[in-house]
Amino acid sequence: MRALTYAAPLINALVFLLAAPLYEGVLRKLAAKIQSRQGPPLIQPYRDLLKLLGKQTLNSAGSWPFKLAPLGAFAAALAVVVLIPFGGRLGVFAGRLDVIVVIYLLTLGGVAVLLGALASRNTFALIGASREMVTMIMVEPVLAVTLILGAVKLRSLGLAAAMPGAAGAKFTLATGLMLAVYLLALQAFVARQPFDIAEAEVELLEGPFIEYSGPNYALFKYAMMLKQMFYAWLFVSVFLPWIRTGIYPADIVLQLAAMLVVFLLIGLVGSTNPRLRIDQAVRYYAVLIVLSLAAVALAVKGW
Amino acid sequence: MFTRPDLVIPVFAALAALAAAAVVTPLFAARRRAAGIVHFAFVAAACVLLAWAGLKAALGGGMDEAEFLRLGPIAVPILIDGLSGLFLAVIAVLSALSALYAIRYMDHYPDYGLGRFTAAFPVFILGMAALVTVDDLSLGFTLAWQLMTLSSFVLIRFERRKPENVRAAAKYLALMELAWLLVVGGGLVAGGSIGDSLHTLGGKLAGAGAGPLFAVYGLLLVGFGLKAGVFPLGQLWLPDAHSVAPSPVSALLSGVMLKTGIFGLLRVFFFMLPPGGNGFDAALWGLVLAAVGAATLFIGTIQSVKQSDAKRLLAFSSIGQIGYIVLGMGAALLLSGSGVPAVRSLAAVAILGALFHVLNHAAFKGLLFLTGGSLLYATGTKDLNRLGGLIKLMPVSAAVAGVASLSIAGMPPSSGFASKWTIITSSLLAGDASVLLVLFGIAALFTSVVTLACYVKFFGMAFTASGSEWTVKKEIREVPVLMLLPKLALAAVCIVQGLFPFLFFGLISSALANSRGFLLGEAFTPGGLDGMLSVSLLGIRVHDLFGPGLNAAVAPLVVLGLLAAALAAAVLLRRSAGSREVAVPTWLCGYQELSDKNRYRDHGMFAAFKNFFRWTGGRTSPKAGRRQGGRP
Repeated sequence: MRALTYAAPLINALVFLLAAPLYEGVLRKLAAKIQSRQGPPLIQPYRDLLKLLGKQTLNSAGSWPFKLAPLGAFAAALAVVVLIPFGGRLGVFAGRLDVIVVIYLLTLGGVAVLLGALASRNTFALIGASREMVTMIMVEPVLAVTLILGAVKLRSLGLAAAMPGAAGAKFTLATGLMLAVYLLALQAFVARQPFDIAEAEVELLEGPFIEYSGPNYALFKYAMMLKQMFYAWLFVSVFLPWIRTGIYPADIVLQLAAMLVVFLLIGLVGSTNPRLRIDQAVRYYAVLIVLSLAAVALAVKGW
Repeated sequence: MFTRPDLVIPVFAALAALAAAAVVTPLFAARRRAAGIVHFAFVAAACVLLAWAGLKAALGGGMDEAEFLRLGPIAVPILIDGLSGLFLAVIAVLSALSALYAIRYMDHYPDYGLGRFTAAFPVFILGMAALVTVDDLSLGFTLAWQLMTLSSFVLIRFERRKPENVRAAAKYLALMELAWLLVVGGGLVAGGSIGDSLHTLGGKLAGAGAGPLFAVYGLLLVGFGLKAGVFPLGQLWLPDAHSVAPSPVSALLSGVMLKTGIFGLLRVFFFMLPPGGNGFDAALWGLVLAAVGAATLFIGTIQSVKQSDAKRLLAFSSIGQIGYIVLGMGAALLLSGSGVPAVRSLAAVAILGALFHVLNHAAFKGLLFLTGGSLLYATGTKDLNRLGGLIKLMPVSAAVAGVASLSIAGMPPSSGFASKWTIITSSLLAGDASVLLVLFGIAALFTSVVTLACYVKFFGMAFTASGSEWTVKKEIREVPVLMLLPKLALAAVCIVQGLFPFLFFGLISSALANSRGFLLGEAFTPGGLDGMLSVSLLGIRVHDLFGPGLNAAVAPLVVLGLLAAALAAAVLLRRSAGSREVAVPTWLCGYQELSDKNRYRDHGMFAAFKNFFRWTGGRTSPKAGRRQGGRP
């Protein structure tokens, strides 16, 4: 058991690194099917990453933040993944770090993207960075409340209490409300339509990433895949805690399967909705923030 | 005369040295460099004494009760206990480094003589040090407060040929005199007379009715709140005064002078209480403080995002950061009255967080203002719309600014992260005691992302991005070594605060344990927090509060190690296929080059967010004097 505590973070990292591009492939396939296209094979994202790693690195900035940014984004995403109780198993870090650290690490990944965008000096990148930051500010409370809801009930900010336990034994009004809010915020968490406002391919040409190419771009893409997989996992772990058998490998497989369903949902919503303008999105997020604060108040009152 | 001459003599010697500096240094004013060096030498000597006495009181034990400095019939109560010691140390460190920075920085003002500056600067430090040393609300307080206020007025007014500076300074002076009246008035309503220590004043409040108590604490809250810069009072004077003062002065104003307001609030709400707390409603006043803190941090930080003037941005953000400190104090006060021992322990954690943020904010905000000063020194402007791309020209300043920005934004494992974590954690875990406190905690979490936006903008638009190559005509160079040294020292302090918070938790706990009459003193007696709060090299853990189990934990070194390992993996991945790097021009769809016409400017940053929060206000430029009226 003790060995498993040390192994669990590594298992997390491996499973996420291996599976993240596959889920991305599912999204692309689904989008293609909805648009009556054949679509790329499921393993196309793996090929893309490999190809990018071998390409030239174009550098328009010539300063260290430009080079550090992709590393930072990838490292922060990986660090988050390592900490989570994936498959219901707590790793060795659980006694030393809590859920506030996870929230800030997620923000750190966003900072890296912004830093890279600002360092690249490109006007499109700066517009994208501006929008990315606004989105980050406005969805962060929803994420925080999702994680804190369990903490408020169990009076612990530990990883175990916050992530698999928010729903706890019983499903309360607060959990129900938060589940709805989470689903409404999900597309924004994973930066998919209608909230892919920062990258906005047809308008800003990938925004913050416009100057990135080759391995640097591969790292950003990989980090984004890890991040969207994290948000799918978070939904499964927090709101569907009953998906578990108590057997570690079986729980991993079950959670991965449940995450596939979440990804199908993301893909479905993403390919059937047009992009919102940033000011429309901000108003939308504001409603979600108010609802999540209401959920906290309910949770504190024990409802 | 004094039971602890080992504390009192160094402090008085330091004050005397500062007074001497104010007299001697202006004699050298004609030779600017010599004046700067002499000034620094005096200030540094005084600061070493202050820091030494302060740390001695904080770590080794201070005076148990106020003792009197008698001058004929007049007696001024002096108290150098752990808390005073802690603040003395902060004042000393930042003052000495600012004076060092000022030696070269003042070259930026060739049109102004240094006489007034070198006379007022030591008096300003003297006033602040005296303010945390005297222990009354009458004569001693008045002397210290007026020395601090009048000297800082002269310093803020330094560029006296600019009408907006004169106006900002006048407003500052008027409001600080108002604050003085409010505080002294609070002392009088409490029934105090000259020579009453705070402890005596607290005693006089015994048996006072609810009305008078409300008046006393209300007056003192508004008075010290005005100084600390809480919403909505801080907005009246702070952004104008802090942004127009010379940068080393701004660093002191934000880094330590605001903390004298915090010190006052601490003394009033945690020390100057009726015996046994009878009649004092800790829960009510705690909630008031926490609400003021939450409003301050939220509004101040959002106003800060709207600024394009680098120093104005920093000034508004000081209001925001003071909000965190006041929230922490409010949470501590609110929870201190709880009947549940575990909740009272959370109160102790909250006050630790608040004081840790005092130390951290002094370091990173001091550093940020020195960075703002360096921008001004090197380029002649502090307008973020015109700056950009300085990282290649000022690499050391850029790296240091990066450290400060990450720290204030609270990115793990930085110093801001450690202290905000402590404040937020204690608010969130207090769930049952107050729903509002939980909501304030979430507001604080939200605000720390806004702070991040602010400093991504500050760092990004000044040092990366582009702009100065077109807008700044003079040749931009890295600032001189004498200006870099204090910045590097502060950056080192920030890093130590971030990675080894246990050192500072130890220092603060010890300082509080050495402060007689502290409301939460019970928690800081030896063993008071054993079994609930573990502080070590491996981080901070709050545990077993409500039954066995972990409540919250953070370990900066573990986070650092984790990130380092993940970074190593990222580097391996990036190098895995041997990709080669090529320098290329910025790509703007192929047929345009980046220029001053098509670059993105600071005022466009986060436009949607700024529009959404338009109602929070926050002027983006100081009002010019009415007589001069607008632009020339």
